[in-house]
Amino acid sequence: MKDGAFAGVPPQVVYAIGMVLTALVVLSVFVAPLAGVTSWLERRVWARMQSRVGPNRVGPQGILQWLADGIKNIMKEDIIPTAADQKLFPLAPYVVFMGFLCSFVVIPFGANLIVADLNIGIFYLLAVTSLVVVGILMAGWSSNNKWSLLGGMRSAAQIVSYEIPAGLSVLTIVFLAGTLSMQGIIKAQGWGPWDWFMFHNPFTFCTFFLFFTAALAEGNRTPFDIPEAESELVAGYVTEYSGMRFLFFFFAEWGNLYVIGAVATTLFMGGWQVPPVTDNPVLLAILQFVTFFLKAYFWVFVAMWIRATLPRVRVDQLMALCWKYMVPLSFICMLGTIGFMFMDENGRRIFGALTLGFAIATIINFFRRVGFQFRSAKPEFYWKPQI
Amino acid sequence: MSETASTETGFFAEEMTISVGPQHPSTHGVLRFVVKTDGEVISEAIPDVGYLHRSIEKIGEKVTYHGYVPYTDRADYLAAMFANQAFCLAAEKLAGTEVTRRGEFCRVIACELNRLASHLISVGTFGQDIGAMTPFVHALRERESINNLMEEICGARLTYNYIRIGGVGYDILPETLTRIAEFLDHFTPIVEEFNRLLSGNKIFIERLAGVAVVSKEDALSYNLVGPNLRGSGIKWDIRRDIPYSVYPELDFEVPVGTAQVGSLGDSYDRFWVRIREMQESVKILYQCLKMLPKGPAIAKVPKKFRPPAGECYARVEAPRGDMGFYVVSDGSEYPYRVRIRTGSYTAMSIIDKLSKGIMVADLIALIGSLDVDAPEIDR
Amino acid sequence: MGVVASYLNNIKDAVSSTFEGMSITFSHLMRKPMTIQYPDKIPVPIQDTLPHRYRGILEVDMDICTGCLACERDCPITCITIGIDMNKETKQRYFTHFDIDICKCMYCGLCSESCPTGAIRHSSEFEGASYNPAGLVRHFAPQAVNLYKPKKGGETEPKLITKVDIGQAYMDEFATPDGGAAEEK
Repeated sequence: MKDGAFAGVPPQVVYAIGMVLTALVVLSVFVAPLAGVTSWLERRVWARMQSRVGPNRVGPQGILQWLADGIKNIMKEDIIPTAADQKLFPLAPYVVFMGFLCSFVVIPFGANLIVADLNIGIFYLLAVTSLVVVGILMAGWSSNNKWSLLGGMRSAAQIVSYEIPAGLSVLTIVFLAGTLSMQGIIKAQGWGPWDWFMFHNPFTFCTFFLFFTAALAEGNRTPFDIPEAESELVAGYVTEYSGMRFLFFFFAEWGNLYVIGAVATTLFMGGWQVPPVTDNPVLLAILQFVTFFLKAYFWVFVAMWIRATLPRVRVDQLMALCWKYMVPLSFICMLGTIGFMFMDENGRRIFGALTLGFAIATIINFFRRVGFQFRSAKPEFYWKPQI
Repeated sequence: MSETASTETGFFAEEMTISVGPQHPSTHGVLRFVVKTDGEVISEAIPDVGYLHRSIEKIGEKVTYHGYVPYTDRADYLAAMFANQAFCLAAEKLAGTEVTRRGEFCRVIACELNRLASHLISVGTFGQDIGAMTPFVHALRERESINNLMEEICGARLTYNYIRIGGVGYDILPETLTRIAEFLDHFTPIVEEFNRLLSGNKIFIERLAGVAVVSKEDALSYNLVGPNLRGSGIKWDIRRDIPYSVYPELDFEVPVGTAQVGSLGDSYDRFWVRIREMQESVKILYQCLKMLPKGPAIAKVPKKFRPPAGECYARVEAPRGDMGFYVVSDGSEYPYRVRIRTGSYTAMSIIDKLSKGIMVADLIALIGSLDVDAPEIDR
Repeated sequence: MGVVASYLNNIKDAVSSTFEGMSITFSHLMRKPMTIQYPDKIPVPIQDTLPHRYRGILEVDMDICTGCLACERDCPITCITIGIDMNKETKQRYFTHFDIDICKCMYCGLCSESCPTGAIRHSSEFEGASYNPAGLVRHFAPQAVNLYKPKKGGETEPKLITKVDIGQAYMDEFATPDGGAAEEK
């Protein structure tokens, strides 16, 4: 760059500026609407499960509700309590946000659609989502409010404890795949359910549910949402926050939901793998992106569904659940998977088929149960999502 | 902040004094508890009441008997019919008025519908406090149907002014009776669905089993009433033991706690008694709909109601327990003194004893399971 | 063995009750929500769907009000203020003011029960919000209105006949010692 706008500037600086700008664009164009639409979806799904309607006014079917909420919150007065720590209080939401944002670097949306295919992919993701703990503790402590402190400490204990079952579950998959890189894990699977790690053997099936539960606990979602439990601690560690700072915490939570779904899809459901229907690279990329997106969003929907269904677990029961149930089970599943790795391929395929059959039988049983609920309550049937 | 040093481990544990309320999403109404806790385990929880005091008892001395009935609605707005009924029973006993038979049955229908509505709110908000938000909205949805029925019967959804001295204010029309029957047919499977969603949920059971156990002796000595008393295993129901109105002719069970999960008298037992009471109320309603006689719905009562001088205490079985109205008359058309005794006020006294050693989350479960209600406490 | 059995039982209970709960909430996704999307997405105005006996905001038909002051006496919260004066020349009594403070009103219905002609009634109106407290006082006699004298042998003037009939129909809703609304139907 001898002449022109960047004359005299060393190329590394130009590249760095370019990368930062690209990241900014990606964030605002992809991540912000993603978290926003997730919040709208959660409110709609939640409302329909409660015989209500949910937001349906702002934009078609209310899909721009998050935009209205965001604009409203930006225009609100920025209240920082005088007794709060003036430097850490404004910083905390951004640390939480950073924790979840950095994880987008390694989310594989397609065969070539990944920001950086680090060879420590999943390890990097686990490490970076722990930044959230720092942010939450900062928020709880700097609010100078006993309630917030309680909430912050509980949340920190919860997230740190549930790292262990999550990490062990990830480790199980890493054993199967042989690599930490996200793309590598996906490439070790196939496009059909029989090739996914989820149905590889019965132990990985259990591992999936352990991982999903641990991920929900890490994301502060019900049934583990004690830090934000409104009815117990007013609003936990976000009590003193208002306006856009408050929204940032929830922004991070909804975005984190998507990251949970994405990681679950990558590790267990074959990621972006699609049947080889086309050779056109652009079409293939789009197909892979859409498949990955839908699979991740399915798990986001399941997380919202669980939130609407289950009550909250108490703090000591949460810790007991983690240490007494999930950690031993994770170890057992890991050892079981290692055992299956020694089995010959045909024997393993039988077990895989049995697991897949069991999963399909459960789904069929589930829909039969839904039919039973309909027959017993005899409600007015209305399947259309729009209202 | 007081400090308690733990000498075995050498750690310092500071005790925080926290105020739960008065603005808090899950103290039922405007209540405040001054809680001393070390972060998770409570050492003391002292209730602080009076935020919703409206001098209803004093107002009784300023308005006539007929005019006071709408005020009794507000003594517990979730169970307004029962306060109406208790006051009217007291006034009728003072004046020796006989209530018509159809009026008695209309009273029972209205009261049992109101019991259903109040218990729906109670179990719904209880689930909400534990964290299950969906059963709460389902319970409210059913309560809306009951509110619609009450609107058809008497014109109001919450503060009814329906039960009057001598009978009821409006007669129940046949089409309303049909709608009540339809609602009951629809409601019975809904309670079972509610049980499958909430009462059978493992997390819910684990939250409540063995939490805040009220022993039989404690329940009696702290003067608990209603589902709180029955949850501890004591079979006492005013409708059965000090019968009034036409309850002796109706066939219903009095559910008591049976230590279904955990110990006898824990939070789950009290919750379960409320669910069973809802099912028994449905039974009572079916019987009343069949047995409703013809005739006038209100007796002849003078406009200027002047009962002879005397005093009277009338009790009814409200959803939150035994509600008693003590009315003293001095012969004029204004009562001399009205005193309201409610179940929630005495339930507050046991909270301090039960809260020693439980966690903050359990305190919320305890308050919800006792079904305390700020308007009843403060009147 | 009991410990292991209860451990496994806990897991089984948790999974099965979660499964059951999730099937219920999933079935709710396909049920009609019960929200009435007031005020715009409703087929008829809500006031028309309310039951006949709904106790909304009070309204007074001054044409048939006899000025007996029964409603003012019976109101337990003194929200009705009536002033009556007499014109010295024509000896005609008229209302100077008939004010109802609808924010004090308890909507108990005692005033409408005691009215002899059914002039004061609860309408089905419930949208009474106002930007200032003065707007919450309804003035039913802004100018002087003559008192109504019920004629012996029934009303003869055609306009007033309908009003008297409407008032009487409202009064018939209340339970009476000699029968009541259900008996007639």
